[in-house]
Amino acid sequence: MKTIPTLRDKKRYIAFSVMSEQEISRRELFDDILNSTHSLFGDAGSSEINFALMTYDGKYGIIRCSRKKTMDAKASLACVNRIRGDHISIMVMGISGTIKGATEKFIQQTCINNAEPDNKER
Amino acid sequence: MSLFDARFFDLITHCSNPDSIKKMAFQAKQSGYSGIGILNPSSDISKIDIPDDFSLFSSIEMACKPSAFRDEIRKNKGKKNILIVKGKDEDLDRIAVETEGLDILMQPARINNIMAKIAADNSVAIGFNIGSIIRNRGDSRARDLTIMRTNLMHARKYGTQIILTSDSHSPYDIRAPGEIVALSAIFGMTPKEAVIAMSAMPLDIMKKKNFDYLQEGIEIL
Repeated sequence: MKTIPTLRDKKRYIAFSVMSEQEISRRELFDDILNSTHSLFGDAGSSEINFALMTYDGKYGIIRCSRKKTMDAKASLACVNRIRGDHISIMVMGISGTIKGATEKFIQQTCINNAEPDNKER
Repeated sequence: MSLFDARFFDLITHCSNPDSIKKMAFQAKQSGYSGIGILNPSSDISKIDIPDDFSLFSSIEMACKPSAFRDEIRKNKGKKNILIVKGKDEDLDRIAVETEGLDILMQPARINNIMAKIAADNSVAIGFNIGSIIRNRGDSRARDLTIMRTNLMHARKYGTQIILTSDSHSPYDIRAPGEIVALSAIFGMTPKEAVIAMSAMPLDIMKKKNFDYLQEGIEIL
């Protein structure tokens, strides 16, 4: 059932990159993010953050959260440090109001900068 | 101007060999830091190949008896090493904050108003270990957060210097300044306080290590 626009939850999309010793699957990553959120903020806190993993390609990804809880969402992502015993770190690249914005501003831009290191300084 | 335009420093990282220091430096630079402190480096850090516009500092953790703190400080006088004591119990923390010349008391047990005031008078910064929030789970993390909340309250009241560090052992443990700010908000630190604790306070400590530094308020022109 649809909610009327004025009552709809406002969302933010966090673009992130994953640095890990071994490749992490989408399911493992999202499970661990949810575990970390539960452990840090409890059930009530995690329901308010309302995480949803939109895309993840093995290195870069976009996760959705509530607009009012972006700081808590960043803290939860920062607390993910091990999956299957392997070290992992999630680095937040930026926060945007749309998936398109998050992709274009942060993920594509990083890919371009990595491909052409000379552009980094500009 | 954004809060995050400052130059950030993480004064406590654990690396054993030059190769791991190099990896750590590159990861820290990518995360947005302008410099890191290497705890008890085994080799000369000035010869390590690091990114441009990036600095490495040497930090010394004083693991000696509290009675030998002053001797250790005297030994390091004139050197650029940042002197750190890891907090343990109330007795050790009290002696550490009373030791003039010590730079950081890292993650002390619960401090009280007297200790906070002495630390402020002696310019001993209180270190908050964000790594313990990241790595611990359950009761131990809850306990750490309670201690940090109390220590922050006392540090605020008496104007004690605060340092934030991720206490990283590998490049995977480094967290960007924005994430450290988010984690420090859990125990009640404001973003502005957190940014100062990662930028202005470390710079202040390093300024004291300069050879031309005489005393607070006195400057060679």
